Amino acid sequence: MSATVLPPSGAVASARLESFSYDDDIVRKFLWATFIWGLVGMLVGLWIALQLANPIFNTSLEWLSFGRLRPLHTNAVIFAFAGNAFFCGAYYSTQRLLKARMFSDFLSRFHFWGWQAIIVAAAITLPLGFTQAKEYAELEWPIDIAIAVVWVGFAINFVGTMLRRRERHLYVALWFYIASIVTVAILHIFNNLSMPAGLFKSYSIYAGVQDAFMQWWYGHNAVAFFLTTPFLGLMYYFMPKAADGPVFSYKLSILHFWSLVFLYIWAGPHHLHYTALPEWASTVGMLFSVMLWAPSWGGMINGLLTLRGAWHKVADDPILKFFVLAITAYGMSTFEGPLLSIKSVNSLAHYTDWIIAHVHTGALGWNGFLTFGMVYWLLPRLFQTPVYSKRLMELHFWIASFGILLYVVAIYSAGVTQGLMWRAFDATGRLAYPDFVETVVRLLPMYWLRVAGGSMYIIGMLLFGWNIFMTWRRRPATYVVPVITAPALEKRYVPEVVTTPRPVGVWARFAAAGWHRTWERMPITFTVLTVLAVVVASLFEILPTFLIKSNVPTIASVKPYTPLELAGRDMYIAEGCFNCHSQMIRPFRHETERFGEYSKPGESVYEHPFLWGSRRIGPDLARIGGKYPHLWHVRHFNEPTSITARSIMPAYPHFLTKTIDFEEIQSRVDAMAMLGVPYGDAVNRAPQMAREQATEIAAEIERQGGPSDLADKQIVAMVAYMQRLGMDIKAIPTTVGVRP
Amino acid sequence: MKLSDIMGHANLSMYAEVAMVIFLLVFVAVAVRLFLPSRQQDLRDAARLPLEDDASIAAVPRKD
Repeated sequence: MSATVLPPSGAVASARLESFSYDDDIVRKFLWATFIWGLVGMLVGLWIALQLANPIFNTSLEWLSFGRLRPLHTNAVIFAFAGNAFFCGAYYSTQRLLKARMFSDFLSRFHFWGWQAIIVAAAITLPLGFTQAKEYAELEWPIDIAIAVVWVGFAINFVGTMLRRRERHLYVALWFYIASIVTVAILHIFNNLSMPAGLFKSYSIYAGVQDAFMQWWYGHNAVAFFLTTPFLGLMYYFMPKAADGPVFSYKLSILHFWSLVFLYIWAGPHHLHYTALPEWASTVGMLFSVMLWAPSWGGMINGLLTLRGAWHKVADDPILKFFVLAITAYGMSTFEGPLLSIKSVNSLAHYTDWIIAHVHTGALGWNGFLTFGMVYWLLPRLFQTPVYSKRLMELHFWIASFGILLYVVAIYSAGVTQGLMWRAFDATGRLAYPDFVETVVRLLPMYWLRVAGGSMYIIGMLLFGWNIFMTWRRRPATYVVPVITAPALEKRYVPEVVTTPRPVGVWARFAAAGWHRTWERMPITFTVLTVLAVVVASLFEILPTFLIKSNVPTIASVKPYTPLELAGRDMYIAEGCFNCHSQMIRPFRHETERFGEYSKPGESVYEHPFLWGSRRIGPDLARIGGKYPHLWHVRHFNEPTSITARSIMPAYPHFLTKTIDFEEIQSRVDAMAMLGVPYGDAVNRAPQMAREQATEIAAEIERQGGPSDLADKQIVAMVAYMQRLGMDIKAIPTTVGVRP
Repeated sequence: MKLSDIMGHANLSMYAEVAMVIFLLVFVAVAVRLFLPSRQQDLRDAARLPLEDDASIAAVPRKD
C-alpha cells in the first residue's frame, strides 16, 4: 500500500514531495452547527405541527403564528441543518480526495461565520414577517445578497483547492459537489431577482405564470442541488469509508451523475400541474421527472451494493445502519417523486399532505440519516477519541426510524384522505363535503400521530447531541495534526500510456482521444462544462414562457391592485397566508363547484410575486372577493372560530388595532410601477387614494353593524384585498355597457 | 419595453429541441467512452480514491 502515495507514472518520479496538513478545525465547526441548527429547525417543526393538531397552540403572539414559522422551519432544516452537514462532509472529504489543505483558511472561516450569520438573520426576519413569499427563497434581498457573497467565497475556496490539488483524478464525489455549488449559485441569483421597496421589502421582477415557473424551477432544483447531489457526493465518499470497500460501480456513478444533472433541471413544472401554467411546460416537467427515476435509482443501487460482501457488518455497525436506511429512503422518495409528477396522480396529491409526507421521507430519511451516519463516522476522527456510546447510536437509529415511519404513514394517510374528500360527490351530484373545514378536522388524529413521530425523531436528535457532546468532552488536550506528504502535480499532465500504435477506425480514434479523461483532470474546464449544461438546459426550458406571449393570454378587465389593496396584499404576504391558502383553482369540477371559476393565466399578470400556494390547509382564496360581506372578514380575522367553530386558523386581532402606514404605500406602488405594472395616477398620490378607499370600506363595515373606528386600521387594507380577489374577470359584462 | 417583448422578438423557440439533441449526444458520448476497454483500469483506480487517503497518511514516517 505504501506505493500508492506515488503516482503510477515514472515521469513523475522526480516530482518533489510536499508536506501539508488538513484543516479539520473547520470541519468540527460545521459539525457543531449541523447539530445545533438541526435541533432548532426540528423544534420549530414540532411547534407548527402542534399548531395544526390543536389551535390552542396558536398563541396571541403574531411572531409565532404558523404562517411566519413554517418558512423558518423549512429554511432551517434545508439550509441550516442539511447545508451545514454538506459543508461539514465536503470540507473533510474534499481536502483528502484532493490531497490538499483548503485553498484559504480565511475563506473557510468566512464561509462558516457568514453562513451562520445568514441563518441568524433568517431566524430573526422570518418571524418578523419579512418575506419574499417564494418557498425556500423567502429571505429578503439584503440577506439574499449576503448568501450570494458567502457562496462565492465558498466556490473560490473550493476551486482554489482543486487547482492546488495533488491528486490528478477528480473523484466522482467532487463532481457532485461542483455541480451543487455552481447550480445553487445560478438558481439562487435568478429566482431572487427583485425590485426593492424598502430595506426589508421587495417584489419579484417576474409576475404570475412566469414567477411561478421561475420559482418551481428554483424550488425543485433546490431539492436536487441542495438536498440530493451534495448528499450523493457525501454518500460516494463516506459509504465506501464505512463499508471499507470501493463503490459498487464507478461507471454507474458517472452515468447517473450526468443523467441527474441533465434531467433534474427540467423537472420543476411538475409542481404546477393543472395550474395556469401552459400545459406543454407541465408535460415536459412530468416527462423529465419520470425519466429521473432511472438515475435516482442508479444512485440508490450503487450506494446499497457498495455493501456487497459486507452486509454482515450492518448488524453490528450503527453507522452502516444509518447509511442503509438513508439510501433506502432516497430510493423510496425518488420512486414516489416521479409517481407524484404524473398528472393524474398529482391531481389527487397536489395541495394535500401527501407532498409533506413525500418530502419528509426524503428529508428525515435521506438527508437526516446520511448526516447522522456521517457525523458518527467523523466523531472519533475529528475528536480523536472513540465515540462515547455505541449503544446510544443504536438507540438513536431505532427511535428515529420509528419516528419517520409514524410521521410518514400518518401524513401520507392524511394527504390521501383529504384529497379524496375534496373530490367526493354524493348521489345527487353535489360535493359530499361542501364545508372545507370538515376535510381539515378529519386529519387532526393524523396530525397528532405526526407530533408523536416527529417527537421521536427529535428525541433521537437529543441522543445524537449527547453523544457528540460527550465524545467532544473526552477529546485530547491538543489535537494531533498529522503532516502529510505527497508529490506535487506536474504543471503539464503527461499521459502515462503513449506508446500504443496509431489507432485505426473511428471508435479507436474516439477512444484514444482521451477527451473525457482530460476533462476529469481539468477542474476548471469541468466546472465550466457543468455550468454550461445547467444554464443551457434552464434557459431553454424557461425562455419560452417569457418569450412566447401566447403562453399568457391577457384579459382586458384585469387591472392592477389599488394602493390599499396592495397594502393588504403585502400584509397577506407578511403573515405567510400563502402557506395555507392557495390562490389557484384547478379546472376540475370539484374545485369549480367548491371555489368558483378556475384560474386563468391572464389573471395573475400583475402578481409580483405569484401567490398560488402549494398546500391547502385552508380553502382556496382565488375567488373569495365578494363572497362574504366586509363585516364577515372583520369578525373572521379577529376570531376565526366565531365564524367557523372548528377552524384551526390563527386569530389576527392585531389587524383591528394596528394602524396602516399610508405613506409607506407610495414606495410600494413605485416599486410595482418600476416593474411595469400600469399604476397611472397612483404613482403620484397612492397614500391619498388608499385613505379614500379605506374610509369607504370602514364606513361600509360600520353600516353592516361593525366597529366604527377602523378607517386607519390594517384590517381595512386586508378586507380591501380579500374583496378584490378574483373579481376582475367578473367585471367583463359591466364594461360592455349599461343595459337599457 | 418589457423583458418578454425583447425575448419575443428574438425568435428562439426552436432552440429547445436543438439543446435537447445536444444533451442527448453528449450523454451518449459520455456513456460510450465509459465502457471502452482502455478506460477500465483508470476507473478501477479512481474508485479506490476515497480508501487511499488513509494510506497516504500511513506512508508518513512516524516517530513511534
